[in-house]
Amino acid sequence: MHWVEFLKPLSEGAWVTIQLAVYSTILGAVMAFASGIGKLSPNWFIKGISVVYIEVFRGTSLLVQLFWLYFALPIAGDLIGVDLRLPPVVAGVLALGLNIGAYGAEVVRGAIQAVSRNQYEAARALNFTPRQALWRIALPQAIPEMMPSFCNLAVQNLKDTALASLISLSDLAFKAEQLRNYYQNSETIYTIILFMYFGMALVLTAIMRALEHSVSRWRRVRK
Amino acid sequence: MSMKLKMSAKAIMAAAALAMLASTSAGAVTLKEIKHRGYIRIAVANEIPYGYMDPNGDAKGAGPDVARVIVKKLGLDPKDIQWVVTNFSSLIPGLQANRFDMTAAEMAIRPERCQKVLYSDPNTTYGEGLLVKKGNPDGIHAYTDFAKGDKKVAVMAGADQLQMMQKLGVPEGNIVTIASNSDAISTVSTGRADAYAATGLTASQLADKSNGKLQIVSDFKDPIIDGKETRSWGGFNFNKNSADLQKAFDKELDAFKKTDEWKKILQGYGFTPTDIAQSTAKTTKQLCSEK
Repeated sequence: MHWVEFLKPLSEGAWVTIQLAVYSTILGAVMAFASGIGKLSPNWFIKGISVVYIEVFRGTSLLVQLFWLYFALPIAGDLIGVDLRLPPVVAGVLALGLNIGAYGAEVVRGAIQAVSRNQYEAARALNFTPRQALWRIALPQAIPEMMPSFCNLAVQNLKDTALASLISLSDLAFKAEQLRNYYQNSETIYTIILFMYFGMALVLTAIMRALEHSVSRWRRVRK
Repeated sequence: MSMKLKMSAKAIMAAAALAMLASTSAGAVTLKEIKHRGYIRIAVANEIPYGYMDPNGDAKGAGPDVARVIVKKLGLDPKDIQWVVTNFSSLIPGLQANRFDMTAAEMAIRPERCQKVLYSDPNTTYGEGLLVKKGNPDGIHAYTDFAKGDKKVAVMAGADQLQMMQKLGVPEGNIVTIASNSDAISTVSTGRADAYAATGLTASQLADKSNGKLQIVSDFKDPIIDGKETRSWGGFNFNKNSADLQKAFDKELDAFKKTDEWKKILQGYGFTPTDIAQSTAKTTKQLCSEK
């Protein structure tokens, strides 16, 4: 079996990996902002929910979360009479997105808190509401600071998608496993997917750099 | 938070806790429902020759080939089978969570598994084997060879061989657990384990694909556990609540096993005449109540 023949099935798997990575990164970003800002909220209820979410999803293994959403949730659903049989893609995106979102939340919180107090005082002096101060003053300064960490997390998330192969999602790792089982040629297949993951990570890094460039436009204007 | 919300949150927590304990689940399908919705989901565990996917995504093996025939007899088009590939150790949890309606993995019929899922009548039967390095440099002949000394044996997670090793007194430190059959060749050829314990058929399939690096133990001594031979009988599994599906399936399976077509399928995957003759030697009921 020539290695070129492995490429077609593997690229089908890579496409699933890309979809998983994109959806879960978007979900993760939404969750990161929602709970990162929520953790700073003066409302104890919002703050409480954010803290619980962050600690639960950061403090349990992603593999266990995947298995739980896929195998245990349906049984729990049957017991209370609700169909909680999430399709594998949904379970995968949920577990990956919620997990990476919990890590991202702390990045968001850290960056917002790093904005100088003087900025908030100035905003207040100019009669900005707290919401305006957050959206117009704090976040534009904080987001460029978040970008290097977000880039790390996005690449991490891309590689974590390999765990989703365990809940019968035919991603890159799953396809590789299937081919290995059939041809028993682990070295070639693992070498190919090593480069495939690396290629995807490079593209993702480039996208994140472009995004970083875009969100820090205002810094260059100032000069 | 309203009282009602609090209550339902409590209910969810309780349900989650119960789910950990529950060995059965509601909501399994019946044959009628399967016919009504027009498809059946069957899981395989990527074990050649019992049940596996070829690179085109077609399910092959003694389990899937027989399942296809029976499903057709039950009044469904074999094209309406949705094949699911999963790890061997995920087959039972997947059935319990209704991720699929049945398995075609020729999982050995064992009493502890009978408590968690339903079994069809036996489809195949197979003996044990060992995969070792070419020329068998360590002179391994039986599973009991690992009970003493520091030679290591690999087994697949969730497979029967682990319990066999434990019953034969093989110490934990001499057992290497691997995730799937695809890891077997590299595990043995790189010396992470001195042998891989699997069914004779799996071992010889793997030996064929190892480019001459590995072989099966030719003078293999069958392990004797609790005074009995270790032949295993494999069948299809169903959710505990799919009894009517299992009964309908069994009826067709028993009839099909009397035909030459069934024999041809098994022979095609390397089952010996003894294996085929022995298939009817025991019933699922007997196997489930064995100690």
